[in-house]
Amino acid sequence: MNFNVIFQAIVNGLMIGGIYSLIGMSLTIIFGVMKVINFCQGELLMLGMYCTYVLNSKLGMDPFLAIPIVAVIMFLFGVLLQSLLITRSIRDGDDDTNVLFLTAGLGILFSSSMQVIFGTNYRSVESHFANQTVSIAGAALSVNRLISFLILIALTVLLFLFLKKTRIGKQIRATSQNRTGASVCGIQAKLVYACTYGLGAAIAGVAGACLMTYYYVFPNVGSVYGTRSFIVVTIGTLGNIVGGFFGGLVLGCLETLGALVVTSAYKETLVYVCFVIILVVKQRLQAKRRA
Amino acid sequence: MEKLKRYAKNNPMAVVMVVLLVLGVLLPLFLNKAYVLSILCMTVYVAGCSLAWSILGGMIGQISLGHGAFAAIGAYIGTVFITYFNTSPWIAMAVSFVVVGATITLLMTPCFGLKGAYFSLTTIAFGEAFRNIFTNWEYVGAGQGMMLPLVRAKDESLWMLAFRSKASYYYVGLVLLVVFYLIVKWIDGSKLGYALKTIREDEGTAEAIGIKPIKYKLIATFISTGMVSVMGVFYATYIRYISPELMLQSKSLEFVLPAVIGGISTVEGPVLGSLIIVPLSQYLNSALGSKLPGSNLVVYALILIVVVLFRPSGLLGWWQEQRQKKRIAAEKAELGEEGKEQVNG
Repeated sequence: MNFNVIFQAIVNGLMIGGIYSLIGMSLTIIFGVMKVINFCQGELLMLGMYCTYVLNSKLGMDPFLAIPIVAVIMFLFGVLLQSLLITRSIRDGDDDTNVLFLTAGLGILFSSSMQVIFGTNYRSVESHFANQTVSIAGAALSVNRLISFLILIALTVLLFLFLKKTRIGKQIRATSQNRTGASVCGIQAKLVYACTYGLGAAIAGVAGACLMTYYYVFPNVGSVYGTRSFIVVTIGTLGNIVGGFFGGLVLGCLETLGALVVTSAYKETLVYVCFVIILVVKQRLQAKRRA
Repeated sequence: MEKLKRYAKNNPMAVVMVVLLVLGVLLPLFLNKAYVLSILCMTVYVAGCSLAWSILGGMIGQISLGHGAFAAIGAYIGTVFITYFNTSPWIAMAVSFVVVGATITLLMTPCFGLKGAYFSLTTIAFGEAFRNIFTNWEYVGAGQGMMLPLVRAKDESLWMLAFRSKASYYYVGLVLLVVFYLIVKWIDGSKLGYALKTIREDEGTAEAIGIKPIKYKLIATFISTGMVSVMGVFYATYIRYISPELMLQSKSLEFVLPAVIGGISTVEGPVLGSLIIVPLSQYLNSALGSKLPGSNLVVYALILIVVVLFRPSGLLGWWQEQRQKKRIAAEKAELGEEGKEQVNG
């Protein structure tokens, strides 16, 4: 195993990790505010992919140009979803079992209705940069992946500016720190919840649009990325956005580097075993700190 | 007779279950069509798995989303026993109960400190890891899965669980389901059941009164995963084809949904839930599956969403709540009248 192979694996890992980061951040932002794990995050990404597909095939729009439109559509969709359905289910306070079932049910609903509309065929889009590659320090990578990665960086910066500078961003942070305190200060929890969920859905949609440029879409594509997003947020601590960002990159590298060690057939097992170990060790450390 | 009537009034659920059992036994005699029987077979299979799941998910409140994979491991053990060792699936059931139960319990032991959704995430991880391993394991057919030979007339036997008619499979499944139901019912009323429910309600209190949460969680996991794998062996002998597809996360959800719809914290809930949801989804699958693939799942998901939103404790849970409310109201009214009489007197 020479250095070049490892370097290529790391670069590939970062590119895959970019998508994981995006979906991980979207999941973690929702958890931070509402304290519920959204089990249909992968399906939201899938919806974003189909959105891009429709914009591309019907209007001939380049997937990268479609990103803002996809983001707006997904934001509105997320706001609707939260204010119509999910709010009703989180009234019980600390018991989150029902939200788990509800979001899992929504996940099935999304993927099966896409199956009804588009069928189970794999679909891809035509992009301006398809099949073009650049080489960076001896590692080859496709232009689409590179642009997606740059979008990830830009989006993360924007997200931080949004949370730090804007009024609603500050309200979101306040609610995630202390729900009661925030509502005492006159912050409307309902509005913040809806915005947060919309934001999460929009980021997942953007991740889907980026993924669409070099991958294909089918109704069950979300389940893989949904499961990955859980791992990402666990690596980076639930509710911590910076953690989600780096967690995604770490997971991407873990996958590609792990594939070199255990052959690519067993890389999934490696990822899941690492996930359980990280989860358990973290929990033990926390318990010790408390004791 | 009088005693029987009073018993029926106090335990309407028991009466319903007996009626259902009688109906279940008699139904194939009148409706001996392959299509109806295949629906019945799937119903008892899902009901059994859902019951097994409810020990962990309902009684102790640990939502497992990996039971599809655990059942599939049982199915693999059954198939391997028949193809490679030519041994009875009944023996495979006993073996898989112990092996799967012990393995999963061992794997889960470090994870029981995790609360709520974190626990569900680890079960997803275990399920997916198993799927990955089985997809690449040549001995069990890798990604293509394994097939049991079709049953010829001279091979039919109860010992090898090989029948040509679906009715026989259905009765075997029904017996398993009844046994499962009695086990879960017994656990529900035993000291073990009360310990599990105490842990679900408040782990700190449970520990304070001397119930060790870890110990009981391990016991519950062992029984639950062991039972679901037994049902898996039955499934393998019935369908006669298994593949890693069985370990998909969506298969786990198929066991969870009946329990959620029926009532997660009741014993009868998973059974009634599967009675409603499985025939419906099988029917929709055959009616709409060819025209609009996926539309059966849309209906399935909508039912789940409606139940979770409007009857969060499930149909049976809601019914029990109503009964309790009525009883409390009646008692209050009685007390109120007594109070008035005392004042008057």
